[in-house]
Amino acid sequence: MRDIVQIVVRLTISCLIAAFVMGAVFTVTDKAKKRNEHQDFQNTMLGLLGYSKSKPVPADLKLHAVYRYVIEDGQARYLGYMVPVIEDGKESYQLLVVDPDGNLTKRAKLNIALEKAMESTERDEAMAEVIKPPQRFHYADSFIVATLGKRRLAYLLPGEFPGFKTFIRVMLALSPKFEITGLEILEQEEDPGLGAEIVQDYFKNQFVGKSFDKLKRLKVIKKPLPEEYRKYLERNKYKGGNFTPEQIKEIQEKYKDADIYALTGATISSNAVTSGVKNMVKKFAYREKMLERILAQQRIAAAF
Amino acid sequence: MKVATTKSNTQLVLNGLLNENPIFRLALSMCPAVGISTTVRNGLMLGVAVLFVQVCSSCTIAAIKNYIHPRIRIPTYTLTIATWVTVIDLLLSAYFPVAYKAMGIFIKLIVAFAIITMRLEVFACKESIGKSFWDGLGMGLGFLFGMVTLGFIRELLGMGTLLGHDVLGFKPLLFFALPFAGFFCVGFMMAVFNYVELVFNRMKKKRG
Repeated sequence: MRDIVQIVVRLTISCLIAAFVMGAVFTVTDKAKKRNEHQDFQNTMLGLLGYSKSKPVPADLKLHAVYRYVIEDGQARYLGYMVPVIEDGKESYQLLVVDPDGNLTKRAKLNIALEKAMESTERDEAMAEVIKPPQRFHYADSFIVATLGKRRLAYLLPGEFPGFKTFIRVMLALSPKFEITGLEILEQEEDPGLGAEIVQDYFKNQFVGKSFDKLKRLKVIKKPLPEEYRKYLERNKYKGGNFTPEQIKEIQEKYKDADIYALTGATISSNAVTSGVKNMVKKFAYREKMLERILAQQRIAAAF
Repeated sequence: MKVATTKSNTQLVLNGLLNENPIFRLALSMCPAVGISTTVRNGLMLGVAVLFVQVCSSCTIAAIKNYIHPRIRIPTYTLTIATWVTVIDLLLSAYFPVAYKAMGIFIKLIVAFAIITMRLEVFACKESIGKSFWDGLGMGLGFLFGMVTLGFIRELLGMGTLLGHDVLGFKPLLFFALPFAGFFCVGFMMAVFNYVELVFNRMKKKRG
């Protein structure tokens, strides 16, 4: 009996000490970790837009983030868009609540600083001031509009969809006409050597250049990748292959309407990425068009 | 009565590396040896992480060995290992983001490795902090050596690359990237170690 009490006491003390140590390290490192994550995210976005160490970011490039929330009011469901809007010469976030038919039902100013909007806790706080119970809201996804001066450069879509094993997190870059200009795999846990090859250039880059129309009909074909196509896809990896600009154009034209060549031994992963990307782009295009319509109708001056 | 080990520090390290190599002689922690040693880089990252956790845990347990109730040894070991793994994981993600991106997923798996718990049970809870440090170092290095060797064989034969750089230009035996080939390689390395020991003993007998 005494033994049990001793054991329980010692075990509890050990657990408390361990929890204290872990908690201390966590509080010390959390800020740095978040900063690293944001930096990483930023670098991925800039990389997708084509900027790197050799091609520096121009001064008038701006990234505007739009956050989508789902608002529930009893049985009814609304979409809430946190959009950066320019009013009286100042940029701030406003909430636009849209019903399923695409009509604006509510417009509210949000009390949140532009830089703080990246943190989900800050966003939820600002939303809670505007959306009061019994209405409930939860975060759905976000997209980023990159503008160069007054011109829209690209849309950046972070997204997540099921893969062969667990989830695959990606970031897509779309041109203003919803044509894919870049695909980056952020996180995946597929089989190394098989499904994990989706991060390789010769698979990822197949999506680049697919127009929106082709994307809607995109399939995966189980044929071997043509050698010239592979060399073209991997031309950046092997330091400037041997491609003249005319050759690049020629190959681009030839394979513009090709379907996605599946990875050897990883058909399911290839299918997962293809259908995931298709869904992301289709849904985004639909929602973006709806948002544009509302912005035009209501004469709201969005920051993009 | 507890009898302290009589081995010197270098002997302890060499012991962990060769005589009692955790993967090839003690047959511990075969899970990561088989599952994660698909490439040299993976093996290297995990080996280094295990090295850190092993050394830190050995020293911690050696320091508090007099306060552990004998019947809750294993939960205490697991708690120590889990704390160290969490600490290393957090420190890496905050101050070494590049390394963290490469080996972030592997670090969390270390808690379940048999080798660390075994070493704490067999050595650290009986020896001084100094000796435990060297023993932990030896075991960690033995694990690292094993992982890198396996990674080398499997990456070269399976993918034709080394550390991501194309060496062969084609993939000789793609199935080496799958777990069951890992078992082949581990078995093969065990045979190599046994053979070397055989030859070594024969030479020693001839000399003495």
